[in-house]
Amino acid sequence: MKNMFFDINKITIGLLLMATSFASCKKLIVIPENPPAEITRQQEFSDSASTISAIAGVYSYNTGNGFAYSDGTLTYSTGLSSDELTYTQTDDKQQFYNYALTPLNMEIPNLWSYPYQSIYQVNDILSGVTNNSGLSASFTKQITGEMEVVRALYYFNLVNLFGEVPLVTTTNYTATEHIPKTPIATVYHQIMVDLADARTKLTANYPSSGRARPNLYTALTLLAKVNLYQGNWTNAYHEADSVITQGGYSLEPTLNNVFLDGSQEAIWQIPAATSYSAVADGQNFLPDYSGAPILFPLSTSLVSAFETGDQRFQNWVASSVTGANTAYYPYKYKDRQPSTPAEDQMIFRLAEVYLIRAEAAAHINNLPQAIADINTIRTRAGLPNSTADVTSQTAVLNAVMHERQTELFCEWGNRWFDLKRNVTAATSAATVLGAEKTGFTANAELYPIPQAQIQLDNLLIQNQGY
Amino acid sequence: MYKFYPKIFVQPPGCASKLLLVMKLTTLLITLTILQVSAATYAQKITLSEKNASLLTVFDDIKSQTGYDFMVSMGVLRSANTVTINVKNVALKEVLKQIFQNQPLTYEVADKSILVKQKEPPLPTNAKDKSAGLPAQPADVHGRVIDSLGQPVAGANVTLTIKGYVYGTVTDSKGEFNLNKLPQGSYTLLVTYLGYNKIEKTVEVNGKDLRFNLVLHNSSSILDQIQIIAYGTQSKRFSVGSYATVNADDIEKQPVNNPLLALQGQVAGLNITSTSGIPGSQVLVQVRGQNSLNVFPNLNNTIGNPTKPYDQPLFIVDGVPFAAQNNNINQLASIVTAQTYTGGVNNGAQVGISPFSSINPADIESISILKDADATSIYGTQGANGVILITTKKGKAGATTFDLNVNTGFNSAADPVQMLNTQQYVQLRKEALAADGLTPNNNPNDYTGAYAPDLTVFDQSKYTDWEKVIYGKNTNNTDIHGSLSGGTATNTFLISTGYDRSTYDYPGDFADQRYTLHSNMHHGSTDNRFSVDLTTDFGYDQNNSSGFDGAQDVVLPPNLPNLLGPSGNLIWNYNGVDLTSDQFYAGLQEPSYLENYNFNTAFHISYKLLDGLTISANMGYNRNTTDENTQMPASAQNPAGFVLRQSNFGVTTFQTVNIEPQINYTKKIGKGVFTGLVGATYKKNVSTSTQVDASGYSSDFLLNSVNDAPQASVYNQDTYNIYRYSAGFARLNYIYDNEFILNLTGRRDGSSNFGPTHQFGDFGSVGAGWIFTEEKAVAKALPFMSFGKLTGSYGTSGTDGAYAYQYLSLYKTIQYIPSFQGISPSSPFNFYNPDYSWAVKKSLNVALDLGFFNNRLLLNATYYQDREGNQLIQSPVPIQSGLPVVLENLDATVQNKGFEFTINSTNVKTKDFSWRTNFNLTFNRNKLIAFPNLANSTYADTYVIGQPTTTIYGFKYKDVNPTTGLFEFYKADGKTVTSTPVYGEAATGGDEVPIANQEIKYQGGFGNNFTYKQFSLYIFCQFSNQNAQNYLAQVYTSNQLGFEYNQPEAVFGNYWQKPGDVAQLQRLASGYSSTAINSALAFGQSSGIYSNDTYLRVKTVSFSYQLPNTLLNKVNIKGASVFVNAQNLLTFTNYKAGDPETPGLFSGLPVQRILAFGLNLKF
Repeated sequence: MKNMFFDINKITIGLLLMATSFASCKKLIVIPENPPAEITRQQEFSDSASTISAIAGVYSYNTGNGFAYSDGTLTYSTGLSSDELTYTQTDDKQQFYNYALTPLNMEIPNLWSYPYQSIYQVNDILSGVTNNSGLSASFTKQITGEMEVVRALYYFNLVNLFGEVPLVTTTNYTATEHIPKTPIATVYHQIMVDLADARTKLTANYPSSGRARPNLYTALTLLAKVNLYQGNWTNAYHEADSVITQGGYSLEPTLNNVFLDGSQEAIWQIPAATSYSAVADGQNFLPDYSGAPILFPLSTSLVSAFETGDQRFQNWVASSVTGANTAYYPYKYKDRQPSTPAEDQMIFRLAEVYLIRAEAAAHINNLPQAIADINTIRTRAGLPNSTADVTSQTAVLNAVMHERQTELFCEWGNRWFDLKRNVTAATSAATVLGAEKTGFTANAELYPIPQAQIQLDNLLIQNQGY
Repeated sequence: MYKFYPKIFVQPPGCASKLLLVMKLTTLLITLTILQVSAATYAQKITLSEKNASLLTVFDDIKSQTGYDFMVSMGVLRSANTVTINVKNVALKEVLKQIFQNQPLTYEVADKSILVKQKEPPLPTNAKDKSAGLPAQPADVHGRVIDSLGQPVAGANVTLTIKGYVYGTVTDSKGEFNLNKLPQGSYTLLVTYLGYNKIEKTVEVNGKDLRFNLVLHNSSSILDQIQIIAYGTQSKRFSVGSYATVNADDIEKQPVNNPLLALQGQVAGLNITSTSGIPGSQVLVQVRGQNSLNVFPNLNNTIGNPTKPYDQPLFIVDGVPFAAQNNNINQLASIVTAQTYTGGVNNGAQVGISPFSSINPADIESISILKDADATSIYGTQGANGVILITTKKGKAGATTFDLNVNTGFNSAADPVQMLNTQQYVQLRKEALAADGLTPNNNPNDYTGAYAPDLTVFDQSKYTDWEKVIYGKNTNNTDIHGSLSGGTATNTFLISTGYDRSTYDYPGDFADQRYTLHSNMHHGSTDNRFSVDLTTDFGYDQNNSSGFDGAQDVVLPPNLPNLLGPSGNLIWNYNGVDLTSDQFYAGLQEPSYLENYNFNTAFHISYKLLDGLTISANMGYNRNTTDENTQMPASAQNPAGFVLRQSNFGVTTFQTVNIEPQINYTKKIGKGVFTGLVGATYKKNVSTSTQVDASGYSSDFLLNSVNDAPQASVYNQDTYNIYRYSAGFARLNYIYDNEFILNLTGRRDGSSNFGPTHQFGDFGSVGAGWIFTEEKAVAKALPFMSFGKLTGSYGTSGTDGAYAYQYLSLYKTIQYIPSFQGISPSSPFNFYNPDYSWAVKKSLNVALDLGFFNNRLLLNATYYQDREGNQLIQSPVPIQSGLPVVLENLDATVQNKGFEFTINSTNVKTKDFSWRTNFNLTFNRNKLIAFPNLANSTYADTYVIGQPTTTIYGFKYKDVNPTTGLFEFYKADGKTVTSTPVYGEAATGGDEVPIANQEIKYQGGFGNNFTYKQFSLYIFCQFSNQNAQNYLAQVYTSNQLGFEYNQPEAVFGNYWQKPGDVAQLQRLASGYSSTAINSALAFGQSSGIYSNDTYLRVKTVSFSYQLPNTLLNKVNIKGASVFVNAQNLLTFTNYKAGDPETPGLFSGLPVQRILAFGLNLKF
């Protein structure tokens, strides 16, 4: 009997050892180094050709993992919150118009999540090109400057839409998945640091064809805008001035050419995706076909803000007539689904820089310069010179704000941000929006943080009033 | 109670492809072996030295020296005397002579077997004294015992009993038995053999010799039926693990076209959920609850109901891991995917086409469900969520038989929801606008919310019941299945083919069609050492439907103008009102074609090296390929808009190669039998998909080809996933004296899904059982109990629910995006985390099995407790970190514990009438038992420690305020009441608290099977109780009450209208600018949308009639039956508005009621 057990034990142990060695054989479970459709991060930043592909990923006209604002949410949400747009459908977008936003709003994540996803791409590229011996110093310098401008733009919009937001400059998720919001001043500080560094790294030349990727003047334009919002009038004035005097840009004489690819006025414009997929604003605002309902009619106050003879109303606003009712809608972008898009998504253009210089000039009491800049814009719009009292700073500022309203409408949330900046009593959000519609409160100035995000990081505190 | 030499019933494990017939085959093999008499081997030399040893010990020694097997029944052995022997190099013949010298036994040698039996028909113990009283003239009784295949049964117990005296013997190798010189009288003849029904008859001995030919039939007792287990087979009697088997008998009675649906309610601890009533649609399967915590992040910002995944078991078909598992096989949209319902389990996967659509239920012999660690640990990392073994039919030896089955079924929606009629609808809409102080107008560009074409433009009395239009059509199924089977004992074959066609309820010519070809071939060598089995299964499924924007269209206004013109043309505009968004016929005119090919081949080869030692291998390949094409012709688009013809092409392929060499070893040790199985697995899974989207065609007639689209508008993308896996496994089993069972299993796994330092893991289990009715004292004390077994097991298994390469930081090209200035854009898509590893589940299982009335009543009660820790999940990450998820281990533990009860009973069994009942009941309780730092994790308001993982956060609903007419909720403090609760959990200042969980509290099923002569009736009912979303969930989350949507009739008149009203629902809101909208939205996140969902559904009713043979013989037909099968015939429920089986979405296609008529012929 004993012998038998012994035999069995021997056999069993032998077989088990065989099985175990088979199981532990690493060769059996070896798979190729990288999957066919993907490459490792190390491979991605191994040379400039593949690095450029990651750069293209940042600018490609695609939400989620490309240019964050390419779905147009920023334009229509701020347009509804301010006094630019109305909305004819019943869904979550309506909540922007009547200040009924909840943290569950389905549009808000577009404004919060896409920028952060893009910032991750930027952060990964910044760390990927830094101290990378496979890339030339000049290439690294150029890429670093560009990415800093992109990151600054995202944080600039985030901080203006949401107030305090988490500031993330790393790709290590363990360091960022559980953090509180960063004070606004700190976020602005990071924006300024990025732009200051970009200014030293970028040159007047655009790195690729067209004006699709930032150059030195793109950085300066954003810096001027940031300084303007921060009340650093002198800096804003000088930076805007550099762009106007040294950048070599000129206002497009024909309004209908302003948003076209290759516009002389463009400082930064991102090529639209491809055939049948135009700039989002065109797709969102233009009716699907003749007679289809207008989703976002312009508000009455914006329509009446255009002075008689304003060519911008003629060229940048269109209308749809149903019986006795006429609905106006934005028509800066005229293509809805072109087979070959001629328009690019404009981020910065010279007209805005004129108005930045005008506002900064007014604040530093260079009122004639302010009026001159306003008139430059008005002349292009086919309007006579401004009649604002050149001796009154408030009157000039009001004139600047009026010109911003009619020149920059439905572009980049400018109107919503301008109202919230309280430049003058007459152009403050409380005054303007209180007169426009009911429901506006100080709390409505900041959008709610998406509820799902609060759930994921409970150190994020929801904005007041939500 | 049976007593027998264990060798006879222990068949070699590891023959994964052998079937239920193993029992029978074993007998066959032994018999064949015995028939090959060879005297030459009889002269072996033996050395023995034993003193007062048991006869068994001596047999063992002889066996180990000579290889001769002894066949003897335990009953015979009881009368044996001890043996004292001392021989050196003596011939076997001599040794046997010595051993049997003083024994009341004799023996017979045949080939390598020695059959031991009683010397003389034993006289009753006290017969000598009493024999004088018995009549004289004794006679001999002899006979032959064969099985239903005509093969002799050796070793069967034969007894003749008279007035308490027992005369017994066992059959020899030819199945013959002899009982000599029996006194006259009336005897009871009893023939028993394990795995077969006993034969019991009265025999009159009156001095003449008698001869009987007796046929043993396979046991109908569930206890002795052979069931398929991991890498082998086993009888329920000796199993220590938790298994359940559903056999062809039960599958065939159900007119379902997905084999998984046939399991619904049949097995304790198994949850089957159909996702819709559409032919071909996905069926979800879960064994013993949800073990993992995975939450798919929701960037769309819905809260309260984060999408939780649904653990599904490992599916193995004929020993080959099913390549597609239970994943959707489609990638493009169709009517099936338009159903938003995901089986009430919110599983994150869009509903789709089931991979099991290509397997014909008629080709399935059995489906085994492996539940506990004893059963699944041998599958290591693949077994944590249970294992489902599907075994297809094999050939049967005997005359060649052709079996034909034809049936036609008629389907209709089982429980459609009644919607408002036009009058009610118009009234509700008017009241809604009035409540918001709005006057309806016809200006589409009005932004105040007063635009109401349904009240100002549409006909106010026109009525269309859209539900009836969209899926009110009755449909039919046609199913034809033919099989040809036969062969000899060593070579059998089976060829079967089937065709099935099911049409859709939707308007249009849509159908799911399946063609299957199944075959099996078995060959065994005449010396029974070598055998091969080849099984192939080919299925082709063709699903033609259309693109469709979903069941949402059921809620279109009932007074909507006609959407189709007199010639069937699409109408896009009615008096200036754009109908594009309502035009669901357009979707139905966008064809969606799906073709699925499933090819499964399983090869088993086995060779018996030595007595008790067999080497074998399973090799298999499974390929599941799907071709899809969806088209958007211009004819289905609004000509006034931007018309773009589009066509999408998709190919999805899943493949598995599986190789499993094995060694089986069986050895009798002492009074028990040891069985060892050692094996290894090599597996490679590759799944790929490609999709080509093309647009800009110049004609609708060109959409079938990608060639005709402009080159610049063709986009491709593909996916690729590879998985390599290797493992070694072992199972050691010892059954002592038919009473004590010990089972050990172990596995070492390696997976390519993990980083280089985390690829290997070890898993194992220990199981033990005690058949206490084998204990004499117990048997004496509990005479009414025919069987009693206590078993327990504990073990580990794992899961590596991961994809390849996730441990690296990867960049990929952004799909569907053209180059940016000539450069192809790429982006990072995963975080770097090389450290994740297996999730581990620890399972405890304790069961009690009892049999009464000679096992006609069998009870099983099982308690189990499973705990899965080191959870491997796609952990959601706040988006500020840059990406929505990271794959990582989470130190949290989820427990599932519960009770399962199963009863099988033969209530009545007479010659003409039988009544059998089966019943099962499951209570599963799921609980999160550990989660370090939950409060500060991303799961803070997804889970609660101590609560089920199906917990839902939301607002605690109070009622409707009679003054304001608004819904009211409790704030986080549980006391304060508000109509505007704050979103978010209490810790972040919100009012959301755990309000409900969707756990199934209990579920089960019971079936009754009646046969009377040639009639047979089967009724099966399924029941379930859970907390689920009610119809208000859809009303208040997607189509708000008062908006331009139709509503279930149940809401009508139940909403608040004026101060003082005590109403179920709050005041109406006409749009998002309504002051009542916030409380309506909050209600959609509150406890108000959950209610109890209990139902009992008469799932299957099957009635059949076997035509009399006398009639059939004239036309040369062996057998014929006609039958009527019905599915989902009746439902009893407390669930309002909607199907209780698919709660929460009243507009989805309800489960189908099927009535099938059929004919079965055997030639």
